[in-house]
Amino acid sequence: MRNPLRPRARVGLAAASALVVAAGLTACGAGSRTGAETAAQVDCPVEVDSPTTVNVLAYNSSAIDPYTNAMVRSCTQGDLTVEHEPIDFAGQTQRTTATLAGEEGTYDVLETYGYIIPQLAADESLVPLDDLVDTYGEEYGLDSLNEGMREAMSYDGSLYAIPMQAQMFLMAYRQDVFDELGLEPPTTFEELRQVSQAIQDAGDFEYPLALPWLASGDITTAYDAALGSLGVDYVDPETMEPNFDTPEAAQALEEMQSLVPFMDPQVTTFDQPAVQQQMYNGDAAIAIMFSGRMSDLANEENTQYAADFGFAPPPSVEADGPQFSALSVDGWSIPSNSAVDDDVLFQVIATSVSEDASEASLPAAYPARDGVADSSDSPIIEAASEAIDNAPPAEPFPWTAPISNETRPVIAEVVLGQTSVEDATARMQQIATDVLAQYS
Amino acid sequence: MRRRDYALLVSPSVIVMFALLVVPLVRTVQWSFQQVRYGQPGTFIGLDNYREAFSDPRFLSAVSFTVVITVTTVTVLVLGGYVLAVLVNRLGRRTRPFVLGLLLVPYVVPGLVGGTMFSWLFNDNFGGVVNQVIRALGLPQVLWFTETWANRGLVGASVIWFLLPFAMLVMLAGLQGVPTELLESARMDGAGTLRTHWSVIAPSIRGVIGFVALICIMDVLRLFDQLIPLSPQAVQIGNESLVLYIYNQAFLDGGQRLGLGSAMNVLLIVLIVIMLLPFIRDTAREGRNA
Repeated sequence: MRNPLRPRARVGLAAASALVVAAGLTACGAGSRTGAETAAQVDCPVEVDSPTTVNVLAYNSSAIDPYTNAMVRSCTQGDLTVEHEPIDFAGQTQRTTATLAGEEGTYDVLETYGYIIPQLAADESLVPLDDLVDTYGEEYGLDSLNEGMREAMSYDGSLYAIPMQAQMFLMAYRQDVFDELGLEPPTTFEELRQVSQAIQDAGDFEYPLALPWLASGDITTAYDAALGSLGVDYVDPETMEPNFDTPEAAQALEEMQSLVPFMDPQVTTFDQPAVQQQMYNGDAAIAIMFSGRMSDLANEENTQYAADFGFAPPPSVEADGPQFSALSVDGWSIPSNSAVDDDVLFQVIATSVSEDASEASLPAAYPARDGVADSSDSPIIEAASEAIDNAPPAEPFPWTAPISNETRPVIAEVVLGQTSVEDATARMQQIATDVLAQYS
Repeated sequence: MRRRDYALLVSPSVIVMFALLVVPLVRTVQWSFQQVRYGQPGTFIGLDNYREAFSDPRFLSAVSFTVVITVTTVTVLVLGGYVLAVLVNRLGRRTRPFVLGLLLVPYVVPGLVGGTMFSWLFNDNFGGVVNQVIRALGLPQVLWFTETWANRGLVGASVIWFLLPFAMLVMLAGLQGVPTELLESARMDGAGTLRTHWSVIAPSIRGVIGFVALICIMDVLRLFDQLIPLSPQAVQIGNESLVLYIYNQAFLDGGQRLGLGSAMNVLLIVLIVIMLLPFIRDTAREGRNA
């Protein structure tokens, strides 16, 4: 008699079917938006005596890719090979820590930014570049790199990264919606609330405002931007006292809370790509995020609304104050534990910020090379040029990053309504005090 | 087999196991009593890492979340896997391979990719098919990613979606090993379908069911990658698994708290052993009786 429980299982065929379907599903995400093969080809006059491989650690984004790809494409020649594997920002952060820890690291060139330079420089993890600038500065035209951006990549009087580009908050808005409702781009948070209310009342947008307030990431940048817009830093560097017990610290949190009714109720799960997606979909009419994310909005391949977007500097929290913004300068650093010759590495990174490579990065990036941005007629670059002068200054101190990271959950709790502003500022003051104790 | 041949054949496995299991385990225990940074020798700090772990409410919350989601999902996996295996077992020879192939898709897709795709079903930014159905039915909006219990449901559903094919496949193999004579006897004695499954088939494949539970418990206790896309706000809504908590404490933002992370790993191992103890005991007993 046939056993109803024992028919022959064709597991092999089943597994093959599963693999085919899975491969079909996962293949949808294959490929890269930018690649070295399409990058700017510039002159890279670096010579090496023996086969040398330079491993580059740099996260992928529309603003960073042009520089990375120019470096890889232009300097891979003869015995020199420049390699870069795709990675996201979180991965870069983690690998930076790991590669700098050992006596010999995995990477020879690191993408760094003003926020972490003080910490890495204080730990002597990066090579000071002043002598190399003296040697090669003229050949690579490094004098044309913006002085302010060079300062942002310096610590204690020494340069630790060659700046490639700056990012600051920009506001993207649906010009067609604003025109239809007779609205102007807001210049203060009060105006932002009024404009958002008007768009919400018009009925086409339930949540007109999109901001990257991911509770495990971007929300701390938003708070820093609000605090900076009120003219206050995390810490007074003279007295080494945290400023979370000031009225401005509480006001910054309250101002953030005031925007919540105009945003998706799950805004604390939105990072910058999610905000971009909201704008692509036509779910929001106003977004404020880093300038490096803006060129994607103007790309017709990404959204049917590409031609409808206008770009402007972000509003300030209060009239006449600095903008609600965070200025971040990205650059290239040489880790102290690289086995490759510093002269070779310096020439490789200097090549990637050459004039041609910088021009190729427009309009996705705001290049560090003076005059390059001015040559662009992109509305994004025009808005960025206007915004960069009125962004709050960065806080170039080793304690900035740890305080920012450790206060992040408290800020998220306030936005979610889990903690009062008063309790939050008290906790943040204590957290910052504990962090500062390590630096006193 | 001569002792020398036996040693020769076994030694590669022993060496690999020693290098990949024993050495990291010993190092984890050692680091749990130290303050450790990458590339630097650790400093002995006694039980400080364990004290810090136990004094953090987030740790206890993570343990609680992990245990609850493990017990819940494994229960569903064992029951669901059994029912699904019975249904697949009844399919014809031609249909079954294709149905099996489709059912196995979630299991062969990497957890992070599967979790991301699963999250899109509930995310309006990416279509949100489930949300559209909810709206079409006139039901209130569900905040899948920010409401604690809605998110727990989402995470649990994703875990089940991911592991159910495994449970089903193993159960299916078990079902095919049940002796025909036993089923015939049950039928002749007048047992109905439910009675046959409860009193005859399930006890016959008890070892298989235990194996499925054991593997699923280990998998769910180590829940991590699926939470990244499915619970971006896990910390704030109390849906942080133990492994995610360890990652957040030890590595997030370029952190270097390897000692604390190791101490939490040791505690995780203890938790896994406690939860697996009944199944390990059963397996050992069956081994002795075999």
